[in-house]
Amino acid sequence: MKNLNRRDFLKSTALGVSAVALGATSVKGADKTLSEDRIGILVDTAVCIGCRNCEWACRVAHDMPTKELESYSDNSVFKEYRRPDKTALTVVNQFENEKNPLLPVYVKNQCMHCERPACVSACIVGALTKQADGSVIWDDDKCIGCRYCMVACQFQIPSYDYDKSIDPHIRKCDLCFERRKKEKLPACVNICPNEALLFGKRSEIIQIAKNRIKRKPDEYIDHIYGEFEIGGTSWMYIAGKNFEKLKMPPLGNNPAPGISESIQHGIFAYFVPPVALYALLGTVMWITRRRNGENDEENILKPHDEKGENK
Amino acid sequence: MMMKKVYFLYIPLILIICIAGSNLLPKGLTKKFDADKGNFSKENQNNNLTHVESDFTNQTLTCKSCHETEYPTKNDPGLRKCPRFDMISKFPTFNKGPEVVDIKEMSDKYTDVVFSHKIHSQMSEMSIGCTDCHHYNTTGPVLNCRECHEQNRSREDVSVPDLKAAFHRQCMGCHKQWSHDNGCSTQCHSNKGTDVKNRDRQEMLDKKHPKVTEPTKMIWETNSAAGKIVTFFHNEHNQLFKINCNTCHKQENCTKCHDVNNPKDDKNPIGIKKSFEDHHKPCMNCHNENACEKCHKEKEMTPFNHSSSAGWTLKNYHSRLACEKCHGNSMPFKKLDNNCTSCHKNFAPGKFDHKLAGLTLSENHKEMECENCHLKNDFSKPPDCKTCHDDKSFPAQSPGKR
Repeated sequence: MKNLNRRDFLKSTALGVSAVALGATSVKGADKTLSEDRIGILVDTAVCIGCRNCEWACRVAHDMPTKELESYSDNSVFKEYRRPDKTALTVVNQFENEKNPLLPVYVKNQCMHCERPACVSACIVGALTKQADGSVIWDDDKCIGCRYCMVACQFQIPSYDYDKSIDPHIRKCDLCFERRKKEKLPACVNICPNEALLFGKRSEIIQIAKNRIKRKPDEYIDHIYGEFEIGGTSWMYIAGKNFEKLKMPPLGNNPAPGISESIQHGIFAYFVPPVALYALLGTVMWITRRRNGENDEENILKPHDEKGENK
Repeated sequence: MMMKKVYFLYIPLILIICIAGSNLLPKGLTKKFDADKGNFSKENQNNNLTHVESDFTNQTLTCKSCHETEYPTKNDPGLRKCPRFDMISKFPTFNKGPEVVDIKEMSDKYTDVVFSHKIHSQMSEMSIGCTDCHHYNTTGPVLNCRECHEQNRSREDVSVPDLKAAFHRQCMGCHKQWSHDNGCSTQCHSNKGTDVKNRDRQEMLDKKHPKVTEPTKMIWETNSAAGKIVTFFHNEHNQLFKINCNTCHKQENCTKCHDVNNPKDDKNPIGIKKSFEDHHKPCMNCHNENACEKCHKEKEMTPFNHSSSAGWTLKNYHSRLACEKCHGNSMPFKKLDNNCTSCHKNFAPGKFDHKLAGLTLSENHKEMECENCHLKNDFSKPPDCKTCHDDKSFPAQSPGKR
């Protein structure tokens, strides 16, 4: 029985190790396949009026339970800071405007669809994938509910609908995958009365954002949040005040999976660790076998199991 | 004698040619004269953007206002991207605009949105004027938003907002404090079938802003350690130094002054609340010396006086001149010295008629260098005769006739 167990363990370890290695390489390959025309969405916080119509449209588009649109004009929700969760894939928060307290700043939060997504890198079963168009989507059937993506995400976005243990569902913005298949705009972009959410090619969107900052230097700080943050994101923001004050995490320009991936890739390149491990185990086995052969005649009565454990 | 008669015969002929010629002149030539006039009024308009009484259709435009390329063709017009303010050179006065505008874009679903154009245009004077909303206009009547803003949200060029956004931004940019209790359908868009529209319309027509009086002197009591009292002479900046309103009053709107939540008292009748930065910015834009004591004093400041501020009393001709004649058009004013020749470049011995200074020089002094009497070319003080004449002093003995 014991021999069988060990064999099973080794088998599964080898499989796991190679799976991680393969998974890592697939992530590495992802940014090579990113399209030149990939999606960019600009959130102009100076234009957003906090109507929260996007929250309503998002729920409707994703078949989530929602109240009537009229109820969304209730601004008492702004009293406390909210985060996207399994009941709301996007939320709008209100921030004070020091320049003019009568014109508050509103910031919409949702999955940023990173150019180098940490969640995809962390996903051990390859359920999350980065698409050529820039979106980060997932295969519900593959997801095992390990929640590694939740830990990996620096914006703390993915959440879980996990009421049944064998049926976990990731809940996060999918850039309206279903709607875009029908050549429709994402629901939030479509409903925004002020077009505070600008949908287009990422390269063009960045140019437009730069132009807006240039034209109104008094109104915006010279920073497009998401242009370079952790290697760039699909959703980008411009604002009149420091993004830290808008609770956007201050992140460097290095992609999140950078360090972990380089370690992984370095170690697992050319299948070195499994081969080394087997080589080591083989050597130990060979040495002990030889020693055993020498001692066999002397200790013929000693129980075999003990030696197995010593290994 | 005969020749003279022939000349007389020519006179009526010349007259006839002149009259016919002026009628035959191409129309463009007379228009050009108008345009020149237009240019002149543009100068005025820079000083006072929204007060110009001029023909709105007569804009001053050049090819470069719209075309970027050197040689625009039909296939490649090389149009500039939304030239905005550069395009606009003339504005109608707000009186010429409509009192109320009905926006009928969503007439299938909602009643018309009634926009009180009059009060908005009146109040826009406090801000940057008509251009705040009419941010793009070529020659001719005011353009409809539809001309530039596409109806379709998923479109090729997204640099210009779509029509829905263009309309909403016009209102919501300032009215961010829209009543969240009621939602969109009762604020601007009334659901069809309700009778809200007529009542609103009358209300809007009746709405008037109380006259905004221009302050002369403003005094603030502060907690600054440098000095408690700050005095600001609004009339001097506006009338004496002729600084444009919009040099300081940048992008102002109603909400900048009116906050329903702020307490009001006699000192602050509209409940204005500004940040430290906002309080200082208008002054610091020009007075960029980093000295608090410049404005923060223990006592109220006295009005502007050229002799005490500049150390040079304005007399005769100088007192009649506008500030910018000597100190230049740009703000802050250029600092000058007391040397006449730094402005009057033509003041040189022999060339300067000393009579203008109120003293005709005697023959002995006429040909002398200026600095012989006015030591170091300092004209602020009367000359000291003692450098040459031991027994003479000015003004008891003068080097000429008064």
